[in-house]
Amino acid sequence: MKDNQIIAQLIDVSKYYGVGAARYEALNKINLTFYRSDITLIEGNSGSGKSTLLHLLGCIDKQDEGRIIIDGKDTTNISLEQLASVRLEKIGFVFQSFNLIPVLTAYENVELPLLFNNTDKNIIKHKVYDVLNKVGLLDLKSHYPRELSGGQQQRVAIARALVGNPSLILADEPTANLDSKTGSEILDLFTSLNSNDGITIIISSHDTVVLERINTVVKLRDGKLVYTNIRNNTYTV
Amino acid sequence: MNIFKLTYLSLKNLFRNSRRTLITVLVSSSGFAALAIVSGYMDFTFYGLKELTICKGFTSGGGNGHIELFNKDYALKEEHYPLEYGISEYQTLQSCIETDKNVIATIPRIEFNGLISNGDKSISFLGTGIEPKKEIMLIKYWNNLSAVTNKDKIVNTPIEKLYNNSDNSVLLGEEMAKVLDAKPGSDLMLMSTTVDGAVNVVDVTVAGISKNPMKSIDRYYLVTNLKTAQNLLQTDKISKIVLVLNSTDKTNSEIPLIANIINRKYNQSLFTILPWHKNAEYYQSIRDAYNIIFSFTGIIVVVIVFLSCTNTMLMATMERVREIGVMKAIGISNSWITLMFLIEGFFIGLFSIVFGMVLKYIFSSIINNIGFNMPPPPGMSMTYILQIFSASQYLPWISILVIISTTFSGLISVRRIKNISIVSSLTHV
Repeated sequence: MKDNQIIAQLIDVSKYYGVGAARYEALNKINLTFYRSDITLIEGNSGSGKSTLLHLLGCIDKQDEGRIIIDGKDTTNISLEQLASVRLEKIGFVFQSFNLIPVLTAYENVELPLLFNNTDKNIIKHKVYDVLNKVGLLDLKSHYPRELSGGQQQRVAIARALVGNPSLILADEPTANLDSKTGSEILDLFTSLNSNDGITIIISSHDTVVLERINTVVKLRDGKLVYTNIRNNTYTV
Repeated sequence: MNIFKLTYLSLKNLFRNSRRTLITVLVSSSGFAALAIVSGYMDFTFYGLKELTICKGFTSGGGNGHIELFNKDYALKEEHYPLEYGISEYQTLQSCIETDKNVIATIPRIEFNGLISNGDKSISFLGTGIEPKKEIMLIKYWNNLSAVTNKDKIVNTPIEKLYNNSDNSVLLGEEMAKVLDAKPGSDLMLMSTTVDGAVNVVDVTVAGISKNPMKSIDRYYLVTNLKTAQNLLQTDKISKIVLVLNSTDKTNSEIPLIANIINRKYNQSLFTILPWHKNAEYYQSIRDAYNIIFSFTGIIVVVIVFLSCTNTMLMATMERVREIGVMKAIGISNSWITLMFLIEGFFIGLFSIVFGMVLKYIFSSIINNIGFNMPPPPGMSMTYILQIFSASQYLPWISILVIISTTFSGLISVRRIKNISIVSSLTHV
């Protein structure tokens, strides 16, 4: 599903770690545009800056240079509280290690973002059931994370990321801790969400199997952009 | 955000490590119980001190009673001669006051001084003239107090010896008796100045020896019958009337009633009506000292509870670094996460209060039934059986202290939570 609306933009974004002689460039002058309803792969070897890029897009880290605009909102100079609001309302994050709250059931984990974003309490249950159904886990809503398999936990994490109707889903190595069959199922789920519901998804992975399911690729090497194929417009550095 | 949902999440987190939560609650509830028991002990101690002041007193003049009645000028001016500002026709005044149903006795007293001699040696004394059968009402009041067990009852007091002997009998302090080489049955002479300024001598017989805990009082202690004192001073006046009520709690409310009774018969401005605590400096100073000790003990207990909970909260924060990072990544603000920890601390406090009440009840019952014999307080010679009062008036304050301690122990974690970097926390093991 194609849409010409820009969902996220990085303008001359750089990120450094360390100081002085120990300074390390995680990202160097990255310029990228992401469109609504696309499913994008951020590809690269370990240490290429994939996760850093995703963290910056997800507003869980701040760039040292440049600007990042998420769904029309410039996140460059806003306060920490405002950044938290952006994460809550516009972004859904799926982590490599699932990162579910262990004392909460699947239902309660998915419900968590809605409790904090002023969703009317009368429609919370409906929304949670809806996304759990989408990921195929409605029957396991009362189970705790320790009672679920890796793939099931990742589905719950995806449901949690989806439930707030975010502008953007970011998935950082979502299949890294899963076997190939389960990983494939998760990627199928992402593809389905994108094609059926038009959800914008950005996945970072070094797994080339992901390539089969996406329409946009961004390749990083040593913090620099080396190649993009955004909607078949290829750009090589 | 629904506060009930946040509370639910907090409670779930509290029980995820139930052993640690249990230990923290046990420490906090022990702190609560300790404070409650100390308050009960403090209450009992102050009660005993108060009633002993009323019944026995710390000076040679005997117990203060509940209310003292003086001539208005007695406390304000220096007497030029004994009993210049005494009370005359006191029997009529006594009869008047005894119409009040809450007054169980009116006790006349004379305070006087002079010299006592065994013929070879003369020493000074501070004397009190009493009516023994009236003074015994104070002892009966003490023995009837519900908190006094059989072992604490006052029996065979020297005053009873005075009551059973002739009018010209005296009780001496033990130190005085040693100096005069006197014992029961010894003949002595009392010398004093009369109201006319003349010197008078009265022969007396020692009826008994009374040991006072304070040597300085014991050295000058002398008690005799009212008639002997009046005979010595050549007067029919008395220094004051001590009123004994049926309950100490009625003291303040009785004063205006007594004033009304006196006013109906006399000009009220002739008399000063003083509640017992206004004339009990020694009691006040002991009470102040105990207050400091108990307050200090309380502070130590609260600090221990606070530190224990702080440790628990810090451990919980350390264990949940990744979880806190995830919550932040989802978009939950630091304020909400902090509130969650504060609610956890609050519930630790709440559970501690409940368990603390149970512990307090159990240990109070054990202590009250064992019958520990406590040493006499300063200025007293009587031991007493340890009792722990319910002290229910302090329990709300202790509860608030415990809740504040446990809730704000979570604040130590606030800074830590604020400083947790989302990125590094997501990879925290």
